[in-house]
Amino acid sequence: MDIHEAVRYGEKLGADYVEIRYENLLKNHIELRDGVFHTLAERESQGYAVRVLARGAWGFSTTNKDLRRAVEDATNLAISSSRAIRERIELAETEVVRDRVRSKMKIKPGDVGFDEKVAHVRKMESLLKEKEYVKSAQIKYEDATGIKMLVTSEGTEIEWDVNYLLQYIWVTGMDGDARGAARNMVGNVDLGWELFDMYPPERIAEGLHKKLYNQMHGVPVKRGEFPIVAGPIIVGIIAHEALGHLAEADLTVNSPFRDLIGKKIAPEFVSMSDRIVERGFGNNIYDDEGVRVRDVKIIENGILKEIMLNREYARKLGMRPNGHARAEDYSYPPIIRMRNTVFERGDHSFEELIEDIKFGYYLVDFRGGQAELNSSFQVGVQEGYVIENGEVKDPIKDTSISGIAIESLKNIEAVGKDFDIEYGICGKGQSAFVSSGGPHMKFMRSIVVGGEE
Amino acid sequence: MNLIRYGEKFFDELEIQIVRRREVSAKAELNQISSASSSDLSMAVIRGVKDRKVGISIVDSDDPRRIEVGIERAYKLSRLSDRDDNWPGFPDKQRYKDVDNEILEDVDSDYFVNRLTIALKDISTRKPDAIVVGAEAGAIWTSSRVMNSNGIDVEQSDSLSLFDLVMMGRYGDVVTPSIFDMELRKDYNLNTDAVIDSCLKKLDYARVVKRANKENAVVILEPFALAEILQFALYPAFSGERKVKGTSLLSKRIGERVMSEKITIADDPFHDMSVSKIIADDEGVATRRNVLVDNGIFKGFLWNNYWAHVAGVESTGNGTRSFKSGAMGIGAHNMVMENGKRSIDDIIADIDHGYIATSFQGAHSSNPDTGAISVVANPAFVIDNGEIVGSTVFMLSGNIYDLMSKVVEVSGDMRPVFMMGRGVYPHVVIDSAGIAPVSR
Repeated sequence: MDIHEAVRYGEKLGADYVEIRYENLLKNHIELRDGVFHTLAERESQGYAVRVLARGAWGFSTTNKDLRRAVEDATNLAISSSRAIRERIELAETEVVRDRVRSKMKIKPGDVGFDEKVAHVRKMESLLKEKEYVKSAQIKYEDATGIKMLVTSEGTEIEWDVNYLLQYIWVTGMDGDARGAARNMVGNVDLGWELFDMYPPERIAEGLHKKLYNQMHGVPVKRGEFPIVAGPIIVGIIAHEALGHLAEADLTVNSPFRDLIGKKIAPEFVSMSDRIVERGFGNNIYDDEGVRVRDVKIIENGILKEIMLNREYARKLGMRPNGHARAEDYSYPPIIRMRNTVFERGDHSFEELIEDIKFGYYLVDFRGGQAELNSSFQVGVQEGYVIENGEVKDPIKDTSISGIAIESLKNIEAVGKDFDIEYGICGKGQSAFVSSGGPHMKFMRSIVVGGEE
Repeated sequence: MNLIRYGEKFFDELEIQIVRRREVSAKAELNQISSASSSDLSMAVIRGVKDRKVGISIVDSDDPRRIEVGIERAYKLSRLSDRDDNWPGFPDKQRYKDVDNEILEDVDSDYFVNRLTIALKDISTRKPDAIVVGAEAGAIWTSSRVMNSNGIDVEQSDSLSLFDLVMMGRYGDVVTPSIFDMELRKDYNLNTDAVIDSCLKKLDYARVVKRANKENAVVILEPFALAEILQFALYPAFSGERKVKGTSLLSKRIGERVMSEKITIADDPFHDMSVSKIIADDEGVATRRNVLVDNGIFKGFLWNNYWAHVAGVESTGNGTRSFKSGAMGIGAHNMVMENGKRSIDDIIADIDHGYIATSFQGAHSSNPDTGAISVVANPAFVIDNGEIVGSTVFMLSGNIYDLMSKVVEVSGDMRPVFMMGRGVYPHVVIDSAGIAPVSR
């Protein structure tokens, strides 16, 4: 049974809407740890996701075996859950799309020999180990090349030329009794092997050496609420964790954002979006429901304006779907996810942001973060500095920051005029490639720094 | 074993792991059933060695013909790898413990839809203003077969049923954090009442918001919070690989006190409260109970076959495979912290002022190489004069070893936890933990 026959079969079984995604990817994995290849692997990833709406309820089935059976299962599952449903699920209207999405990559991962990838990883390790204090280095490289198809009973038919690559590094440092650890990740869906021209191994190694050294020889952090100047990477993770998740419609309905749409929640010089950005790891033209991706102005001049939607929530809230339904792979149904979440530029120079801070912290890079429905957020910090009398001083050891997002937003004091982004993988039951970023920003209150002192 | 024989045409030796997983579940969102789902997936991982060079291939299938193609791919990749003179060879035949992992009968989604519908009705009757953010009832069946060219051929099957619930409340300006609980069982007697009771009780506490103080205070970690923080900040230090490289803080501390004498931790794949018993690791090595910390004294590391060979010791049966990349690592099967005597209710009744952390934000941002933690307890609750008087949010900072050294009591009650790895955990009471309020 081919994918089109399967869609028709679902309708024949009683489905009101049938959506089938097929993926066939060849992935490469390399993991080098201290001279030993822990993996040098190819993965053939191939299977179907079948999602069916019948009698107002969803049924989902995933298989890498029997498509016909999956269609039957998904339809029966939908009918089974429809017996208990109180409010029928309906979908917002969307344009029927027939398209083939081509990759923007100049050099796709599939066009690069495995031996060249192995050589790249070896070079990366050798550069990292140039510093004696690098006690251990773990380098993971992953890429994929292949196709993804989406066919729906409404007539949408999209085929993507899927390509991505990512590199993740973790280094452990020891210098006498001092210890530290630092991470780096780069990844892209639009830039292919040329990504490593933009982020050459030498530059990545230099950055990690600096982070590691600073952590090992940094000063302990004071515990409590202090003025903070956050760099683009930290600003991005605040945008993502503290605010972006609350603007995902399935979470918005239970969060403080629910009653704040259309209201002022930040100073008027603050704007934040989830949008297509250059080099964005979350870039795409269509989402996994076949909806064209639109920029979402979450905060515009301090007003909470838009949230991220799939077709179900768009219908529920009377809004227009904006292309944020994403699935990690064929084994998952699409759910509402961010893509590239960024604060927009302001007009302050870095010097202006720090000049009147007597004591505070300049936070540059993060290691993990998490948000909660009550808008509490936490961001681990792997690179930061003390600000004293308007000047950046000593590096600090490991720490994290936390706050209540809807309070912290009100306390943004100034926004810088620069801009940068970071690459990440967001977890929400399933993972998604994302970017986040923005300019430097200054918070005078409402952010707590977690130190040992 | 025909596939092994096929692979031996290419490799000096090889290993194949075939994993199958089926799931069926019903889900609820915003107080009503939202969907039902099923999955039926198989995967095979081939690891072959030629001239001490390792190549790996993964196929999303258990079809022998596709596995044969995978074997050929793994062979091509092995040619690109470095010769590894430390390669120990695959493990030899093992004797496995005889355990009875009863397999659940198949049920269809109607069963779980009904269970979930009853649970939702119960919640709306008992607390009409409670919001069910998400809930799931379902079952999972798994099987894993590991074969290698040294004669290992071990298959283990398992199944479990589960019910989880995430709730919250909105009371005027107060939006509570999400309150989570779950149950896992070897049968279908899911105690949804107990999960609902636990969530509703916490939701009541969460209505009253208290501001935490910046202080050194008594903090109780609930089993989920304890599992989360140990998983990210402490357990990586038990890895034999880190011992060999000297990056574990415990590298030279076998036999020394590394935490409170109240704490005993073992990786116990056969523990009575474990939802499933695991007889072999992902390399086919027989598992065993490995005591890691005994009354605060560090006893030893966990090893897979490779790193055990490098260190000149035996594998402890802790080879765990990443099914994403095929990499073989070291991991625990079922971490158990031994319980104490008093019930958690009795312990709380004796505390004049303190806090309870039920879950942590940011446990994954802990630094496993230094033990540094800086996490946010949310939801957390305030104890005054032996009673829970409201909810709060606070930041807990420090080092996991210092924190575990300050454990003054471990509760008598314990429960299975299924979070970033399986385990069985009690509550622990930490004396004088440094906290800072996260304003609300």
